[in-house]
Amino acid sequence: MIASTLPDKIVPKSLDALRETLERCDREGLKVSVEGGKTLSGMGPVLPRADVALITTALSAILAHEYHDLTCSAQSGVRVAQLNAALGEHGQFIPIDVPLRKKATIGGSLAAGWPGPRRHMYGRARDFVIGSQVALADGTLANAGGMVVKNVSGYDMSKLYIGSFGTLAVFTQLNFKTLPLPKKRRAMIAPLPEATRARAIERIASLVVPPAAAFCVEGFGKNVDGADDIDGRVLLYFEGTEELLERATLDTRSALGKAGVPETTIVDTGAAESLDRTIDACIANKRGRSITYRLFGSPGTAQERAERMRDACNRHELFTDVLFDVMNGDVFVRASERDASHFGAKIEACHADLRELEPRCTIVACDSVARASFEAWGAVPPAIEKMRAMKARFDPHGTLNPGRFIGGI
Amino acid sequence: MLKQRLIDALGADAVKTEPEDLAVYAFDAYSQGVVPAAVVLPANTREVAAAVKIAKDCGEPIVARGAGTGLCGGAAPARGGVVFSFARMNRVLEVDVRNRRARVQPGLINLDLSKHVAASGLFYAPDPSSQKVSTIGGNIGTNAGGPHCLSYGTTVNHILELEIVDENGDVTTTSVDDIGYDLTGLLVGSEGTLAIVCSAWVRLLRQPETVRVWLAAFDDINAASAAVTGIIGAGIIPTALEMLDRVMLPPIEAAFHAGYPTDAAAVLLIESAGFEDEMNLHENEIRRVMKENGATTWRAAKSQAERDALWAGRKGALGATGRLAPNYYIQDVVVPRTKLPQALKAVEDACAPQGIIAGNVFHAGDGNLHPLLLYDRGDPKQVAAVIEAGNEILKAAVDLGGTISGEHGIGSEKRDTLRRIFSTDDLATMSRVREVFDPRRSLNPEKIFPAGVGCAEVA
Repeated sequence: MIASTLPDKIVPKSLDALRETLERCDREGLKVSVEGGKTLSGMGPVLPRADVALITTALSAILAHEYHDLTCSAQSGVRVAQLNAALGEHGQFIPIDVPLRKKATIGGSLAAGWPGPRRHMYGRARDFVIGSQVALADGTLANAGGMVVKNVSGYDMSKLYIGSFGTLAVFTQLNFKTLPLPKKRRAMIAPLPEATRARAIERIASLVVPPAAAFCVEGFGKNVDGADDIDGRVLLYFEGTEELLERATLDTRSALGKAGVPETTIVDTGAAESLDRTIDACIANKRGRSITYRLFGSPGTAQERAERMRDACNRHELFTDVLFDVMNGDVFVRASERDASHFGAKIEACHADLRELEPRCTIVACDSVARASFEAWGAVPPAIEKMRAMKARFDPHGTLNPGRFIGGI
Repeated sequence: MLKQRLIDALGADAVKTEPEDLAVYAFDAYSQGVVPAAVVLPANTREVAAAVKIAKDCGEPIVARGAGTGLCGGAAPARGGVVFSFARMNRVLEVDVRNRRARVQPGLINLDLSKHVAASGLFYAPDPSSQKVSTIGGNIGTNAGGPHCLSYGTTVNHILELEIVDENGDVTTTSVDDIGYDLTGLLVGSEGTLAIVCSAWVRLLRQPETVRVWLAAFDDINAASAAVTGIIGAGIIPTALEMLDRVMLPPIEAAFHAGYPTDAAAVLLIESAGFEDEMNLHENEIRRVMKENGATTWRAAKSQAERDALWAGRKGALGATGRLAPNYYIQDVVVPRTKLPQALKAVEDACAPQGIIAGNVFHAGDGNLHPLLLYDRGDPKQVAAVIEAGNEILKAAVDLGGTISGEHGIGSEKRDTLRRIFSTDDLATMSRVREVFDPRRSLNPEKIFPAGVGCAEVA
């Protein structure tokens, strides 16, 4: 492995400054690490070489909120929470469910393509992007989409940049459609030991009024509410009118009761924060002695996949925290060790096992030291050659986050 | 050579080469293209791949085609070549009820999917007005919308995974859950210019517990527009919010007996689907906004039959125009929803001076206008006037901060108009994607991109 160098940091305060930085780096063969709030920097490998860290946080203007049109536009360095607070003044929001949303930028969140737990209800964050502006590797600005909610005028280029980890272009501006804020939120937390889990999950999945988000959690201590339920708990989040939530509460209690879950705690004040904490836990890291893996899959197989991965970690005598998304099927497994000095040897063998078990599991939280040792992204997707060709066509000099993404793109 | 090789690979039944057969495939619902050299009807992905390789060897362009209902020339071959019809790849391959998804072939008719999964309490949300005939593959090509995409989103929001054949005849898959670039999202709406879709995993939704449909009539179309803005501005997103104007109401009513008033300036058709518990609240709020904006009539459909009748009128609106004129030209533009009054006035201003009658039936909640310009194709003056008025409407939509297509696509019709909304740099960036997938521009050539964008099409 080539040792990483400490890059110079540039925080452009204007679009022109950002363009000029990129143009110069591209021309001079400098490698650029593109960064937003750095909240998901634990994903993917450390860049083999980064000459310049280009940080977008000073591009922080909310450009428009056309609240009668339910659209808005903001520069890419705006924080997710900041944008939603501004939209909230007119009773609107965008469901960008990313960890650490107070710090995460909209550009970084969309570049990482983090798929949130409410997507089964609202759609993915990508489905709310109606237009974008990016700076290409050579500093050229390119627009896509517009400020209307429906648009099939040419390729939807925003889709290509979303989830590309800044390897094709740098978001400078994003336009969104917004949603009306739900009138009320409610969290419900219940203990969920393994014996009752499968039945309870089936019942949650078939609730007539589905939760906006639902997690099954083992471990994670106080990172996630309901930490006293050490054998596992389920956290449900409902959004809607008072009337709907009352019905959802009755239905959920009844469904969980039939599955053998006797008690359910209701949290109304702070329900949104409870959801935030759970999302944050997905990347909660124990410095130097933990790795968190994420595995996508169908909701119907989430429990099975989570338990398989947990058992693999346990076989290596690692502490294991497990969290899975009941509605979407995302599984998060954190393997850790109390003593950092023992972690390295154990995780190396565990990592190999996990990859054999689930070749497409991805590391989402990990210190840079450990990230240097493991391939972070997992098995390459079938269309990797098209992706490589795309990278070559968009960034021929390998300027933008080279080697940051899957398959070395 | 081409024909024989195709017959050897696919069988004689799957290859059409007679002039009278080929002539049909030169058309789509918008235009006439160049008669293809051959039409193939593959039965599976392997045959698609084989036919692509043969077409490539023979230097023939390829046009993948659904039902040909597209309204911008997307399926009409610009250079002839080999047309791929998916009429034999029209099945539901798999339904995964637990995970609410289905794997389907591209030739499956849109409405047939919802019928197929109805017994499981599920449905497929994108519902273009052509859904009785148009195919999932064609819908993927254009990222088709429909009245209900106001709340459910367009086709791209419902595609989970694609199996594609690329221009070399190689098969691969893309998934929204893949780590890597979102090629799935990029392929949807690419109008057959990047790859050929051979199967798709699509998302299914649970049928709503309750559906209510209301009709509000207005004696001033601007009041109806203001009511649309009022609903959206009040933070209510109905499942569908459609407008029909005074030109369109009489012929629709005559054809469908849907229960529309024929003397109103405009009618809003509003649907809300969801939970019984919330429905009274929605109804009260929507009714209040309608009344505040001067609705002269407010009516709730009382039965499924009444709801179906109201929707049948809306979805059959294009056919009803035959009562007004021999031909129609339908435009497809989008403006910010608050700009509907200006956009409707722009339609009138573009058409009236030319002596063209324009009707409007459209997705008001999305700001997606569909002016129907009524004319007689036999009269060259009327044809010229319609073309000019259509261009004026496009220009007005762009000037109002809108776009030139909301759901029909660019095809051949609007390829040169794309320059009105995108800079040379924007288009060149888009062109890079084409170069990755289809460097020879053999997949549906002369579509989407203006002439001259990308080296292969420089005149």
